[in-house]
Amino acid sequence: MLKFHRSLLFVLLAGTIVGIAAFGSALSAQEAPVEEFAAGSSSSDITASLPAAETHINSSAALDPVDAASRVDSFLSREAHLQGEPAVLTDDATFLRRVHLDLVGEAPTPDEVMDFVLDTDEAKREDVVAQLLGSAKFGQNWARYWRDVILYRQSDPRGNIAEQSLIRYLEDQFNEGASWRQVAKDFITATGNVRENGETAFYMAHFGNGEEVAAEFSRVFLGIQIQCAQCHDHPTDRWKREQFHELAAFLPRVQVRAVQNDSGPRTFQVQSRENLGRRGRNQQANRRPARGPEHYMSDLEDPSSRGTLMRPRFFVNSKVIPEGQSDERRRNALAAMMTSKENPWFAKAFVNRVWAEMLGEGFYEPIDDLGPDRQCSAPETMDFLCEQFIAADYNVKWLYETIANTDAYQRVSRARRDYTEDAFAANCPQRLRGDQLYDILTEVLGGSNVGAARGRGNQRGRQNQRTAFNTTFGYDPSVPRDEVTGSIPQALYMMNSQPITAGTQAARPGSALAQILREFPKNDEAVTELYLRCLARVPSKDELQTCRDYLAGIDSRAEGIEDIFWVLINTAEFLHRN
Amino acid sequence: MDLHRHTHVRVRNGAVVGRRDFLRGVTAASLAAGTLGWHDLLSAKAADLKARGMACILLWMQGGPSQFETFSPKPGHENGGETKAISTSVPGIEVSENLPHLAKVMDEIAIIRSMNSREGSHPRATSLLHTGYLPTASIKYPTLGSLVTQQISNDACELPSFVLVGNPGRNRTGGGFLGVDFDPFAVTRSGQAPANSQPGVGEDRFRRRLDLLDKLQTSGGDAQAHVQDHVALYRKASKMILSPQMKAFDISEETDAAREAYGKGNFASGCLLARRLIESGVTFVEVVANGWDTHQDNFNRVKNLTGQVDQPFAQLIRDLKDRGLLDSTLIVWMGEFGRTPRINARTGRDHFPRAFNVALAGGGVQGGQVIGKTNPAGDAVTDRPVGVTDLFQSICKSLKIDAAAENFSSVGRPIKVVDGGEAVDELFA
Repeated sequence: MLKFHRSLLFVLLAGTIVGIAAFGSALSAQEAPVEEFAAGSSSSDITASLPAAETHINSSAALDPVDAASRVDSFLSREAHLQGEPAVLTDDATFLRRVHLDLVGEAPTPDEVMDFVLDTDEAKREDVVAQLLGSAKFGQNWARYWRDVILYRQSDPRGNIAEQSLIRYLEDQFNEGASWRQVAKDFITATGNVRENGETAFYMAHFGNGEEVAAEFSRVFLGIQIQCAQCHDHPTDRWKREQFHELAAFLPRVQVRAVQNDSGPRTFQVQSRENLGRRGRNQQANRRPARGPEHYMSDLEDPSSRGTLMRPRFFVNSKVIPEGQSDERRRNALAAMMTSKENPWFAKAFVNRVWAEMLGEGFYEPIDDLGPDRQCSAPETMDFLCEQFIAADYNVKWLYETIANTDAYQRVSRARRDYTEDAFAANCPQRLRGDQLYDILTEVLGGSNVGAARGRGNQRGRQNQRTAFNTTFGYDPSVPRDEVTGSIPQALYMMNSQPITAGTQAARPGSALAQILREFPKNDEAVTELYLRCLARVPSKDELQTCRDYLAGIDSRAEGIEDIFWVLINTAEFLHRN
Repeated sequence: MDLHRHTHVRVRNGAVVGRRDFLRGVTAASLAAGTLGWHDLLSAKAADLKARGMACILLWMQGGPSQFETFSPKPGHENGGETKAISTSVPGIEVSENLPHLAKVMDEIAIIRSMNSREGSHPRATSLLHTGYLPTASIKYPTLGSLVTQQISNDACELPSFVLVGNPGRNRTGGGFLGVDFDPFAVTRSGQAPANSQPGVGEDRFRRRLDLLDKLQTSGGDAQAHVQDHVALYRKASKMILSPQMKAFDISEETDAAREAYGKGNFASGCLLARRLIESGVTFVEVVANGWDTHQDNFNRVKNLTGQVDQPFAQLIRDLKDRGLLDSTLIVWMGEFGRTPRINARTGRDHFPRAFNVALAGGGVQGGQVIGKTNPAGDAVTDRPVGVTDLFQSICKSLKIDAAAENFSSVGRPIKVVDGGEAVDELFA
């Protein structure tokens, strides 16, 4: 094993040095007023360090997603598929379940599967992608995903108070074709009541702690884990302890305060903690420094001392902002610099994350650990996607549509590759997130919510059911997917819980199973219908034979069909998208 | 530019399962400082760290129990309030009058009266006292039960190695970056079977279904890794619920006399359940008692709470001792912090992390001793301060766990079981 690693070292040697050296030269200290940088007129040379792709698209607007997708595939065939042909495209049924789950978080119905499979239109795959992106469930699905990204890392459990407003905010943004750049700016500059303004979620998740929020903004929006430098210089990266604390110095004046209200649920407000003073208020134009807290880097030798006063400086371009700025100005400056087109990591982090969720593997892994010292498995493809994504003004739907139309996305799925194999030669099966599983289970068991059997069908009750379900089945989507494993309580829930037990009984009047037994008197047809319903495909010959044999050994047909239904819900295939 | 090999670690359950090597640019200094090689050292050592037969019961007092009304009374000072002290089975050691049963087994208990931390908020302090680390966004630290069972668990036991009894509310901690395998198996009410542990159909039919499931998933031959994992998980889960060992969860099997000895209430049956589980080979049981956040009416409320805790805790010590399990089972009684010495206007006590108490018994701990002191007002530690990491080091020492062992966060950062601190050696004298 080790012997092999060493040989790899030499193979990789050449390509890496150039990129690192070039980036290093960009890291020289510069000072510039905020406005200048925000306007994008600065002379930052970060972009100069990007490895130049051979073919650059020189356009002010992005390519059409379908055209962009085929460009992505040709880049990949040149730089990723080096050892052989990639996997073939997957069949229609598998594609349909995959794209439904990925885009709208639900599986297709048996009718949708049959219609799609029998459709002879050559453009049917791109059509279904466009159609799903137009569904309101697209926004809902990805809003829930980002709720998980943000709230799984909360350092204060009160962060959950922002959950519903966060989902509402993101759902609207995604459905309205928002720019990811605007979304990020909204998050960074958010103020107001956390139950009303979902953009406040990062601050609420860390109860206004500037260090935690700074670390999260960097991780989520840039894919740079600079927080490792919080206590010491980063052992394997370039980041210094000062740079982390200079980032935190953008956020010392944010605070989360309880909102006094006698009625309604407890809530909090994100606001600035500073006193502009009488003069300051009247003479904003003078840019008189507002009075308020500053960030101090603690002294590790003497933790009880105050530490060193830090000035806000953005580690990517080393720009500082003038001293004593107000909270609003600091956060606006941070938002502008983080989301600037000059800052390559902003687009890369989003592209990498969405790509990884769709293909099961990122250009960089873990998906939130990028940065100049990390290896990208297909850099030209990544650069092309980023350049186009920026040209599309960071349009979220554009990116999903492009990726879903690539051959890379549509290949058959295979087990996670060994690192010696080609990247993106196949798709990779993905474990469903809690919300996706909750929704397909609800659908498969007969259209009512899981748990509705207990008579808790109102909206609040449904929300609680979903939350309880997610407590068992949810996971932090930033954790590498091969580290997310099934748990015993999950298996017990799927095998024995009341909703599953009740939902898989044929005797229940009006149940899905009662209907299947009635409408499909032949066993093969009933089994096929169960496969369509649970797995959105028809059974293979072997599977059909196994089910025939099983039914032959059981006296009661209803019992046998119940058993097969229960078994299909309990397969790994049901819990994943292939 | 100096280059070195940076191993991109593939981790699973906090352990290295595979690696991807990439080049990283770093300075020569970090090479010289030996930042390489720590994984290799670790994987080699992992096997011998699985210790033998030790177990732990954490009695968790959610909300922050008052030290004055439990193990550190101050009857001579106004801060002590109306609470009286009583003598115990150990001459010279007094505890509050609220703990008459525990007073009788004081010879098995070590009290630390000089616990201190700086965290006075429930969520942060709960996390600190459960994990040994302050909560952060970047790393989800594993809770004590997860840390312990990851290091020492009993592979022969078909029951989950870490069981949580009671409801810790939303300040819940779990396996963190070690993964769901080390999450606690939760039993909300100790009188009932664990959730979803009984098949919805008869056992024969359940087994028949499992056979069909196995057949459909494995017949294709080379099942993908995620399918293999799923098959293995289902085998483990079904083996567990069909195991005769599951009877351990059924406290109705105990005699009336045995149940009465523990007293009444959820916490009492939780302690009895803990004893049954430990006896069946479970490694770590956490039993939660809620309600200790006594900002108002402190004296009456604590009296009520100690009334639920005193007898079962004392009986747990006796019972384990009678069964020869006390030496191999450490019992830790604690909450996230103590209460203010000053009694507030609503006869309550507020949060006070600066000086509080913890009680330990079994697991090689020398009973009948008090470690550390506070001043007469109870607002400062005057002797032998014990920090949270010191306590965690001591727990590791009792359980024969190498506190310096490293696990890996998902970005491959090595995290020690306990970072810093020193074991309180007097505990084991």
